[in-house]
Amino acid sequence: MIQSLFLINCSGDIFLEKHWKSVVSQSVCDYFFEAQEKAADVENVPPVISTPHHYLISIYQDKLFFVSVIQTEVPPLFVIEFLHRVADTFQDYFGECSEAAIKDNVVIVYELLEEMLDNGFPLATESNILKELIKPPTILRSVVSSITGSSNVGDTLPTGQLSNIPGHQVGIEYTNNEAYFDVVEEIDAILGKSGSTVFAEIQGVIDACIKLSGMPNLSLSFMNPRLLDDVSFHPCIRFKCWESERVLSFIPPDGNFRLISYRVSSQNLVAIPAYVKHSISFKENSSSKYGKTIEGITVTVHMPKVVPNMNLTPTQGSYTFDPVTKVLTWDVGKITPQKLPSLKGLVNLQSGAPKPEENPSLNIQFKIQQLAISGLKVNRLDMYGEKYKPFKGVKYVTKAGKFQVRT
Amino acid sequence: MPYLGSEDVVKELKKALCNPHIQADRLRYRNVIQRVIRMPGVQEYIQQPILNGLRDKASYVRRVAVLGCAKMHNLHGDSEVDGALVNELYSLLRDQDPIVVVNCLRSLEEILKQEGGVVINKPIAHHLLNRMSKLDQWGQAEVLNFLLRYQPRSEEELFDILNLLDSFLKSSSPGVVMGATKLFLILAKKFPHVQTDVLVRVKGPLLAACSSESRELCFAALCHVRQILHSLPGHFSSHYKKFFCSYSEPHYIKLQKVEVLCELVNDENVQQVLEELRGYCTDVSADFAQAAIFAIGGIARTYTDQCVQILTELLGLRQEHITTVVVQTFRDLVWLCPQCTEAVCQALPGCEENIQDSEGKQALIWLLGVHGERIPNAPYILEDFVENVKSETFPAVKMELLTALVRLFLSRPAECQDMLGRLLYYCIEEEKNMAVRDRGLFYYRLLLVGIDEVKRILCSPKSDPSLGLLEDQAERPVNSWASDFNTLVPVYGKARWATISKCVGAEHGGSERSHTASFAVSGHLISEENKGRVQEAPDSETLMLVPNCQLTAEYFEKTWLSLEVAHQQVLPWQGEVHPDTLQMALQVVNIQTIAMSRAGSQPWKAYLSAQDDTGCLFLTELLLESENSEMQISVKQSEARTETLNSFMSVLETVIGTIGDIKS
Repeated sequence: MIQSLFLINCSGDIFLEKHWKSVVSQSVCDYFFEAQEKAADVENVPPVISTPHHYLISIYQDKLFFVSVIQTEVPPLFVIEFLHRVADTFQDYFGECSEAAIKDNVVIVYELLEEMLDNGFPLATESNILKELIKPPTILRSVVSSITGSSNVGDTLPTGQLSNIPGHQVGIEYTNNEAYFDVVEEIDAILGKSGSTVFAEIQGVIDACIKLSGMPNLSLSFMNPRLLDDVSFHPCIRFKCWESERVLSFIPPDGNFRLISYRVSSQNLVAIPAYVKHSISFKENSSSKYGKTIEGITVTVHMPKVVPNMNLTPTQGSYTFDPVTKVLTWDVGKITPQKLPSLKGLVNLQSGAPKPEENPSLNIQFKIQQLAISGLKVNRLDMYGEKYKPFKGVKYVTKAGKFQVRT
Repeated sequence: MPYLGSEDVVKELKKALCNPHIQADRLRYRNVIQRVIRMPGVQEYIQQPILNGLRDKASYVRRVAVLGCAKMHNLHGDSEVDGALVNELYSLLRDQDPIVVVNCLRSLEEILKQEGGVVINKPIAHHLLNRMSKLDQWGQAEVLNFLLRYQPRSEEELFDILNLLDSFLKSSSPGVVMGATKLFLILAKKFPHVQTDVLVRVKGPLLAACSSESRELCFAALCHVRQILHSLPGHFSSHYKKFFCSYSEPHYIKLQKVEVLCELVNDENVQQVLEELRGYCTDVSADFAQAAIFAIGGIARTYTDQCVQILTELLGLRQEHITTVVVQTFRDLVWLCPQCTEAVCQALPGCEENIQDSEGKQALIWLLGVHGERIPNAPYILEDFVENVKSETFPAVKMELLTALVRLFLSRPAECQDMLGRLLYYCIEEEKNMAVRDRGLFYYRLLLVGIDEVKRILCSPKSDPSLGLLEDQAERPVNSWASDFNTLVPVYGKARWATISKCVGAEHGGSERSHTASFAVSGHLISEENKGRVQEAPDSETLMLVPNCQLTAEYFEKTWLSLEVAHQQVLPWQGEVHPDTLQMALQVVNIQTIAMSRAGSQPWKAYLSAQDDTGCLFLTELLLESENSEMQISVKQSEARTETLNSFMSVLETVIGTIGDIKS
């Protein structure tokens, strides 16, 4: 299925390669570089590239390209998902998925890749199983191993392997039995020029962190389950139960996992928590003014190429302007409804340059703690099958996803 | 590391592999069979440990041992398939560990590649279906793929399977959802309402994937959305806002979204979609802006007035990259929707200042030539082009200019005559490009023949609305693409995929396969059902007709007279013959036409020749006398061999029968 994997950084160096079947020459990546050159911007490299004998399926994450080489017909979504899983595993192991981190831990990286894919097929991808096989690096362990020459490979086989429930391990006893749920909602929205909502939608996930001994049977119910439009479930959830009673019933895997993800799309339900007032006009002296409501906000603006610099004064927070990428970032911070922050000042244009046709769009990031903007609420969590009383907790967060204001 | 073994290491490993103590240490044993296997020089030592591994108590060892079998098979290259091993793997499909089961499938698939892969019969299919929920997401996706090979015996069984797999349409992994969708579409290929129902149910997950965090997933999902839209144009219409582009998305996603928007437009959302697309037309990226303009052009086939208005407004921006694409869109549009010609003609003047590239210039010149009588200053715009023809870099533009000016000369001779003279003079006397020069000479001679002849040749119809209808009726049945769903085809497009698979085919199957492939491709003239027959005939009867056997008419005549008639036959035939159709059909099966009477002549005759791979010639006369409505076939053969003669006759009969079928 997946023949080889190449890791390529932004400047086009192949800094790691791994082959699961026969060795595919590095020159296959030339087709990728060709596409990269054509795309001008690194972000625009198409994810599927065909070459005379192979397909290259790539993902771009954290400024790295994961390029996989495929020789037979495959479901593209499968490969893309798997590559993301590889990137996520690196993130999980090393705290960041960057070239430096991968080069520092190159032995672990190879061990991980060897475990995750055997003969081109996914083998072990669950983080808890991987961590039993290959220990994540710690300072102490790396010092010890550099002295003694021992490896990070665990010296026993994972214990939970014979369990039939994906990811759940039999016979583990926790001293603290806990079950925590994070309800995270992201608002994807496009606000039009006049301030009207062109498009708005909520993408939500419930992430769980569960450490329960034995074989607990959990059931999670919501105050308002009808809110959820399209729900996709972790394999552990009993689908029939949800269909008939709208209750999530499951035997949880250990550790962190994504319980469900959902979508709330009905437009009237999405109340936009933040508005931006803007007036950008390109004249000899131009001015920008913003107004806002909420907390933890950053505004990024991709300025047109003809803007060499600018001189702005924010009433709150601070701003930076990168003259190379032409990105203006305004870190607003927290806001109170009484006092609306604004950013005003001069934006200089290159002398002689024509007035830009298109006004730049604003991307906005923000966070609202302890609120699920869709109004989703967890009603109760019940546990059957075990006698002890677990700690339970639910946290809500609302964030901006792809939140964009057109000007 | 196992890859770089020195001799000592190899020796050590060999020793270790034979050591039962190592086989007792599960973890080391497992790592040995997983990793050491690729090392040269230890292959014969690895076989026994792997076979032992298949029966190991620990599932973790079995998992890698099962795949180890496939690796071992690959290392041995062409070695024969070990029947006992295959049986053992088939029996391991019943293993209690789900990953062992999936790995068995993967391994068998590789080992049995020559025989067409692992066989999924009823017990295996049902066993796999029951184990589905225990598998991890990768396993589920792959098993769904394997299940495509299973054909349920009865309707009841089919719906049982569909019920069982229902929950996978709601899985959290898009890969599994798509795999399940494909299986549903394929299994329910006789039940269109089930297919539609599945597509409705999968709409949610697909839309979720379209707005997923991962841009690559988004892209793949969008490609599949487009595929579905081909069959169900209204399917995503109510969700059109999902496909509005945001600024920060990469190009390939934006381009897909614009295509999707263009396809899902309907009476209710056309206003909003056009407004949105109008916004993209002024995007910073020229490529994206142009894609948006082309999309508006596509929508204009249905909603002409609104779109033409938007496009006309865009011309007012006087941006080079916008103007050129708008003019190209206009050119395509007047051809399909003649009702907008008036509006287009009014918008054109002034454009010429903002067009620099070849495509745009060609489009503008074409429009001026064809619809010049409605544009008051058309000759003066063309005059500018004629003035600057010396500095024109694109030959295609010069040729277009010649045609356009001759056309315009026909409708407005007074204004164009002088200019046309200058242009012809330049093209014939000074132009270095042969194609342009020839075109110039051609028009010059044509004009010498007389103005009526020029009119007859150049004034073809100015529009063809039926072409648009032809394109629009592309509402293809779901079954036509169901087998491509969840593969690379929707992502890369069919045409592209065909060339790739041909490459791969040539690599593996040698020249024979590519020959039959081209044979099948060129057979488009022959109706679908008969294609199979035509194709099989030469293969099965060991008759290979050689392509490109060129006989001169004289040689044919000489041979024809020197030979006796080997076979004579009469076939029923109704009505007249279309010589072109017949000739092309014969060419497909490598039979050359030497001479043919014109259509409608009495009696109608044709002489054909063909040569097989042994050099034997087949000379044929077709004789049609319309009063007795039958075609008389006489065949002469250079070497008398009945079996090849019979197969040649069957090929010929098939072709003639097919052509007769098409006509009647």
